[in-house]
Amino acid sequence: MSFQKRLQSNEFVVLAEMHTPKGVNISRLVTDARRIKGRVDAVVVPDMDNGIMRMSAMAGGVLMQQQGVETIMHVYCRDRNRMAIQGDILAAHVLGIQNLIVVHSEDMSQGDHSDAKPVYDLDEIGLIKAIGQLQKGKDLAGFDLDGEPSFITGCSIAPYADDAALAAELSVAREKVAAGARFIITPPVFDLQHFTSFLAKVKELGVPVIPTVFLLKSLAIAQYIANSEPGAHISDELIRRIRKSPDREQEGILIAGETIAALKAMTQGVLIQTLGWEHKLPAILDIAGL
Amino acid sequence: MITAERKPLEELIEYVRPFKRILLLGCNECVTVCAAGGRKEVGLLASGLHMALLKSGSTIEIREHTLERQCDPEYVEELVPMIDGVDAIMSMACGCGVQELARRFKGKPVFPAVNTKFMGASERQGVWAERCQGCGDCLLGKTGGICPIARCAKQLMNGPCGGSTGGHCEIGDDVDCAWALIWERLKELGQEERFVEIMPAKDWRPGGGSGPRKIIREDLAE
Ligand code: SF4
Ligand code: SF4
Repeated sequence: MSFQKRLQSNEFVVLAEMHTPKGVNISRLVTDARRIKGRVDAVVVPDMDNGIMRMSAMAGGVLMQQQGVETIMHVYCRDRNRMAIQGDILAAHVLGIQNLIVVHSEDMSQGDHSDAKPVYDLDEIGLIKAIGQLQKGKDLAGFDLDGEPSFITGCSIAPYADDAALAAELSVAREKVAAGARFIITPPVFDLQHFTSFLAKVKELGVPVIPTVFLLKSLAIAQYIANSEPGAHISDELIRRIRKSPDREQEGILIAGETIAALKAMTQGVLIQTLGWEHKLPAILDIAGL
Repeated sequence: MITAERKPLEELIEYVRPFKRILLLGCNECVTVCAAGGRKEVGLLASGLHMALLKSGSTIEIREHTLERQCDPEYVEELVPMIDGVDAIMSMACGCGVQELARRFKGKPVFPAVNTKFMGASERQGVWAERCQGCGDCLLGKTGGICPIARCAKQLMNGPCGGSTGGHCEIGDDVDCAWALIWERLKELGQEERFVEIMPAKDWRPGGGSGPRKIIREDLAE
């Protein structure tokens, strides 16, 4: 069943994120895709995430489709103007990509080409509307299309530091949903209790909520996130659990798998982020019982 | 200087319509020079607003004033005694002036009366043209004193495009091709070799690519 159909019929969706290479060596990407084929419903392919120049998401998406894995492609506003974005969206449809997520783009200054000129011709809400307009057969200048694309388009909520930031994120998310977003990806879950209250607020938006489950690859990463992102809610207890573990790598996998298993009863799906450790996805899914 | 053009009266009327008393505020710097928002334009706009509102059966009290510089907190302070007596401010300064008012008078609505256009120079009486986009890393020393960022429609950095004809830009015969101008000037200066020098991809960080910019002069900052 396709990602879209699963969402519509309230089935739990399992998504995994896979980055394109910085270069043209696609062997790892293809191997990773084959490894999880049939075990996840779709793979989310970011574009130049975090401002890192890499092979574009469209090629990554097409490679996934070729492996028989459904794709959800990131689209965003930093690097392309409305001409390029619309052209890519039409191309994505023709190449078999049926799902898009409009994401926030990391500021150019944070990436590896910080001297590049940022575009921001549209913003996220404008982009969601543009996709909707293309689907109705018109481009942003109002001209008719010869054949309209079709997609299910989602949006995301960025990590938030405190309640005020969350309130702001939610009000923007409400606008995104009004503009046409039909599912929402939320930040990594490290504390189920906190997530429960967060989820109640996000559910008010009226679209399926798909939280992120982030693989903690090491104690250092867990500590880093705990210190730099108070909104992530990584508890001392969680840090202790990883520290005390005789096999910290395995502990991270266990934590991710257990989180997914717990979320299964609460949300419409999960997005698993493994940041380069995509080969660990099968192990995580095993623990999650998926 | 920073150039600006008065907004259409209809737009301005809609801004002020809900208010009884407004302060219409000019600026004595750039917008005075480009005849968009100086003392004279304040007077003209005030009567325009009065008449238009009268026609639609309403009245408004307009207090006219022009500051030496609206983007300077020191001058903006002068307004303190006038602010309580008005419901809103309409500023005829560039966007910098409008924002300075909004920063200083948090409780008062502030409306722009002009569209701020560009940094430019006067070509002749009544004509202003763009000259600089504040890229933060001036190239004029390499391009014969003519800016390809502000004056080439495509911001080309290494010579003209195929559309340059007879000194005109392909976007229209009323626009000079920046690269034709650069070439002529370099020839005059005997610096033709500069034309063939290949400029690297521009670093846009100093031009605002990394977000809003600020200058901090340690020797002057308090
Ligand atoms: S090179 Fe940059 S700073 Fe110099 S005139 Fe052009 S835009 Fe202005
Ligand atoms: S004709 Fe000249 S100014 Fe116009 S875009 Fe081409 S190079 Fe630039």
